[in-house]
This record gives sequence, C-alpha cells and structure tokens, in this order.
Amino acid sequence: MKKALAVARWEYIQKLRTKAFLISLFVMPVIIVAFGVLPSIFATQEDKETRVIGVIDMTGVIAKPLADRLEARYRLSTGQPNYLVMTLGTGNTIDLDRTIADANAKVLRDEIEGFCIISSDVMSDSVIEYRSKNVGDFRITNRIEENLTDILSERKLTLRGLDPGLIHELMVPLNLKTVKLSKSGETEEGGFVKVWFTAYIFLMMLLFLIQTSGQLLVRGFIEEKSNRIVEVLVSSCRPVDMMVGKVVGLSALGLTQLGFWGLIGVAISVIMGVPGVPAEQALLQLVYFVLGYLLYAAIFVAAGSPLTTEQEAQQVTSYLMLILIIPLVIALPAMQNPNAVWLKILTYIPLLTPAMMAVRIPIQTPPLWEIMITVIIMLASIYAAMWAAGRIFRIGILATGKRPSIGEVMRWARTG
Amino acid sequence: MLKVSELRKEFANVVAVDGVSFEVQRGEVFGLLGPNGAGKTTTIRIVLNILQPDGGEITYDGARFSEAVRNIVGYLPEERGLYRKQKLFDTILYFAELRGMHLGTARGEASKWLERFDLLAYKSARVEELSKGNQQKVQFIISIIHDPALVILDEPFTGLDPVNQILLKDILLELRQRGKAIIFSTHQMDQAERLSDTLCLINKGRVVLGGAVRDVKKRYGKNSIHLEFSGDGSFMKDLPGVRRADVYRNSAELELSDHVRAQELLMQVTSKVELRKFELVEPSLQSIFIDVVGVPETRAHDAPLAVTKSGVAS
Repeated sequence: MKKALAVARWEYIQKLRTKAFLISLFVMPVIIVAFGVLPSIFATQEDKETRVIGVIDMTGVIAKPLADRLEARYRLSTGQPNYLVMTLGTGNTIDLDRTIADANAKVLRDEIEGFCIISSDVMSDSVIEYRSKNVGDFRITNRIEENLTDILSERKLTLRGLDPGLIHELMVPLNLKTVKLSKSGETEEGGFVKVWFTAYIFLMMLLFLIQTSGQLLVRGFIEEKSNRIVEVLVSSCRPVDMMVGKVVGLSALGLTQLGFWGLIGVAISVIMGVPGVPAEQALLQLVYFVLGYLLYAAIFVAAGSPLTTEQEAQQVTSYLMLILIIPLVIALPAMQNPNAVWLKILTYIPLLTPAMMAVRIPIQTPPLWEIMITVIIMLASIYAAMWAAGRIFRIGILATGKRPSIGEVMRWARTG
Repeated sequence: MLKVSELRKEFANVVAVDGVSFEVQRGEVFGLLGPNGAGKTTTIRIVLNILQPDGGEITYDGARFSEAVRNIVGYLPEERGLYRKQKLFDTILYFAELRGMHLGTARGEASKWLERFDLLAYKSARVEELSKGNQQKVQFIISIIHDPALVILDEPFTGLDPVNQILLKDILLELRQRGKAIIFSTHQMDQAERLSDTLCLINKGRVVLGGAVRDVKKRYGKNSIHLEFSGDGSFMKDLPGVRRADVYRNSAELELSDHVRAQELLMQVTSKVELRKFELVEPSLQSIFIDVVGVPETRAHDAPLAVTKSGVAS
C-alpha cells in the first residue's frame, strides 16, 4: 500500500505540472463564462447614450404620441432620455419613396438607429414596418412594438367613442412568475434558464474532467511502455499497487480541478450576484462525480493499458468520450420532460448514471430510493470494472508491438 | 542467492525459454550470454517476476518469490528510458521509493551516486535535457541505489564512452566485492570474458554452455592460435586444417582441427604475411560463442567479419 501511495503521489505531482492539465484547469471556466455568462451580460447591458429613432407617419397622428411616450418612459442612467424620436415625414401627401430612401441613407450613416414606416392603412391592417441595421436588438423592437400597440389600441377605442383610459383598466399585464418546488417544500425562484445552465455546467465539468484525466492516464501508459519504464515499475511493485496508485493519483487531480472550478464558480456567483447552487445539490453532484470518475478510470485503465501507440490512444479515448456525449444531447428534452420513463431508464445504465444525474439533479432532485439504487449500481459496476481492469492491466501493461485484439483483452480479463 | 531450475516459458507458438537452469552466488558476476532472441531477456523478466513462467522454479536465498524480493533486486533494462519531462533527482527518488527505500536515505544515496557519476550539476535538470549516455548513468543509479542483493543489468555498457565504461566496471567489481550477486547480459564477449566469474550461454531457449569462465575455456582446450601480422590475412580462413578463423586487419584467431599441428600452420602462414606474433592460446569467449551457437548457413562466409565489426564497434 505504501508503494501505491508513492505511485499516487508521483502521478499527481507529475500530471499537475503538465501543460494539458494546466490548460484544462483554465479553459473550462473560460468556456463556461464565454458561452453562458457573457451573452446575458451583453444582452442586459443598458444603453450608454441616447438613440434616435425615425418615424415616417402617413396618418399624421401617431408620431407625436410615440415620441412622447418613448422619450418620457425610458431614461439613461444619466437621466437623459434613452430615445429621441425624429419625425422624417408626416401626412399622406409626402413622397413616400423619396422619404424612405432618405431615411435608409440616414440609418446607413448611423444618424439614426432605425425608423418606423406607418402607412395610412395602419388602423385597418395593423402593420408597421421597422427598418434598422440591427433588427436583432430585441429590447428596442419590443419597446417600439409595445408603445405602438398601446397608441393604436387607444386610438381605436377613441374612434368607437370609448374612454381610452379604459384600456389600462381592462388590460391586465401578466407576469408569469416561475417557482421551483423542491421536495422539502422550500420554494425557490429560478427560471428554466438557470436550471438548464446549471445542468449544462455540471455535465460539461464531468465531461471535461473525465476526458482530461482519461487522456493523461492513457498517455502515461504509452510513455511508460514506449521507453520500458514499465519493466522497472512492474519489478518494483505489484501491478495492482501501480493501478491503484494511478487511479488514486488521478482522482486527486480531478478533485483539485473540481475544487478550483468550484472556487471560480463561487467567485463568479458572488461577484455577479447570481444565486449559486444549493449545497445539498452540489454535494449530491459531487458524489456522482466521484463515482463516475472511478468507473471511467477503470474503463480507461482496461482500454488504455493494452495500447502501444499515441494514435491508438487518441482513437480509444475519443470513442469513450462519445458515450459521455449522449447525455449532453438528451439534456434539453430531459429538462422539458424530467419525468419521462426513458430518462429514468437511462439513469440506471452505469456508464450514463453520473451524466444523467448531472442533468436531473438541478431540474428535480431524484427521490432517495433512486439515489440509493443508482449509487449501489455504480459501486457494483466500479468494483467489477476495477477487478477486470486489474487483470487486463497486469498483462496489457507489458504488451508491446502489435495491439492485442478485443477478444484477447477479454480473455485476459477472464483468465487473468 | 538465486537458483533457477528447469525454467520454461512459451509465447503463442514459440518456446522462448526451454528448461533453463542456473545458479548465481553472492559475490559473483554472472554473464548471461547468447545471440539475439535466445531467451536471455525473457529469462531475466521471469526472474524479476515481470512474467510468470509456464514451468520450473526460481528461489531467492532458498525462498520462493515474495513481495520482499522486489526490494532486494535492481534492474537495468536493455531498452532505456525514463520519464522525459521529469527532474532527475525526483525521478531517482521515485524509483528508490518504489523499491521500498525511505525518502531520507534515498536523498543521501542519490546525491552520493550523482556525484560519483559527475551528474550532480544536473540534479534539477529535466531528464530530456541530458545526453543519452548520461540518461543511462541515471538509470544505472536507479538500478543500484537501494543497495540490492541481486543486480540484473541488461547490456549495461552499450552507449557509454570508454571513460564511463571503466567507471561502470569499477562499480560492478566493488559491488561484487561487497557480496552482491550480479547478472549481466551482453552480446559483447570481450566484456563478458573480462568481467564474469561464471557464464551461462543460452541459445534458442536452452543452456548450451555454462560454468566458471576458467573451466569453460579449459574445456575447449588449447587448440587456438593467436596471430599478429602485417599483410593480407584474408587467405587464412581457407587454409586446410583451420576449422574456424576470426580474421582482423592485423591479427587473427584461428581454431585448428584436432589433427593439425600448430607447426604446420606456422609454415603456411609465414610464407604469405610478415608475422609478429604466433601464440598457442585458450580460445576467447567470442570463438567459443561462435563455435557453440554456430553460424547460420547462408551467412557462413562473411560471418566472422560481421562479428569483427560488432567487436570493434563496442
């Protein structure tokens, strides 16, 4: 056991210093931040200066109220109005084509953000055109749409001889508030986006973790084989000490990685004021992480120890990664229907359990009996996989030259 | 110290080791010789418990293999290699620890050996920054740092310059002096001849010759002649009565058939070359090796030259 510890310490320190590990340590958080946090930061960012919106109003009665509303309702943080409305043409006598051409030019010269074309038929067909270089800016289009709707509704009411104030009484703006219920009866506010995001982060972390350490493990085998260090190792300590040492060392490495990411995660959530994941959830995730990690470690040992070249190693690791990508693909449908039977069935397949749980836990903490059964299944599979891996490792680690066939490897596992 | 009896190992359809037996005593350098693919390395791997034998028995001081044995053997494999990216000192300590050494003791020993091999300056260098020869010295240190009772060295001299070869030889003799059992495997017969007390020649998985070097040579008798000359000596291998000739540029070793007398040969030779030395000697290990192992039929004619080349290259 002392020798297994020596191997573990060596593997840990040796791998900790590799570039691949250092990169993975920093790349993962960067990817998460880049894909998850940044777009929402940009999307919610307030305008810094007043934007000018043009209006071509052939009815002659809408431009004015639109200007009043937009200019009064939205303010910049400096107190200045967020929008200024510039009337580019009003009345049904204007030369529409020329006015539009002028307005187009203004947009292209960045003099105005965009402009609305309100035709004289607007009261009957309710169609208004908005032209801009950036029609993907949902905030500005939403605001224009919202205010134009109000103005048109009011005008229609007035035309029918009704009190426009009535609309404010009759229209009930709905605010659908989503509240996630957890089993202990606590309520927690949080939308689909947050759940989706948490599940994805956990999945990505699991994937990344298994991939980096799996590759490090297999690379290590290849190096030790190609320069025959393995002969000295196997004559110095029992193969099982070597295997245990490697798995323990790499697990410690994985935990280091997780701890580091966790710190970054906590830091981000504190700085940004985003609520973090509840401790209970995080703990449960950690349990499945460790179990999944150990299972995959055993598989990587079994699949990796008979390999002799770097190319083979890359092939095998990428095949193994495919298994882990499955949960990534089904994560979205899983979230839409977390109680689906197929989802539950997949959770009981040991190779998928940790990833499926990574998805399921943020959506809805599975019942205790499910947790217990899956943990037992995982432990049993880890035991079986480690046992087989140990037998394959003993022979595989000495194999050189031609790669043994899968049949041969199976025979090693059976006969040891 | 080590007793190997009736060892047998098969791979797929090939019998790599076929009933090999030998014994190695403490304070003895044991030369394990044989052509490529004879089964030397397989035998060594079984002795080190890297491979399991299909038959036979190995005892270490009378006892079967146990975990404790791992800490009293040292091994320098033929194909060299270390963790390239790691620091020299750390690497040595790691392997020492795997042989059951305490880290504190290992540190002291490692420094001592590095100093002896003039490598102390590279202590914190990465292995890959060292020359091949220096890496080999490091690997040798790894094989003996834990003061093993049984040291197994596979081709320890190849790749070392003459100065370091002498250093290594001195250390081996010191280890022998201190009662270690040393097995060394080589193709270089001159080295084996100078260093070994006992030898074991393996061919095609079987022991074909064994015993104390002195006895082996005596067994082959004095039917060899050592010549030194100037001139073209290539005719010598075609002389009648010469069973085998090993001809170099200015010297030759001829093995005579039993009925030929040295006197007759001398007359034949003096007429063709200018002789400087003519001596009746014990056969060298190299001649014995070639004699026992034999020369493959197809290469019979140029074989002595090929051996010459490898002999010179060493």
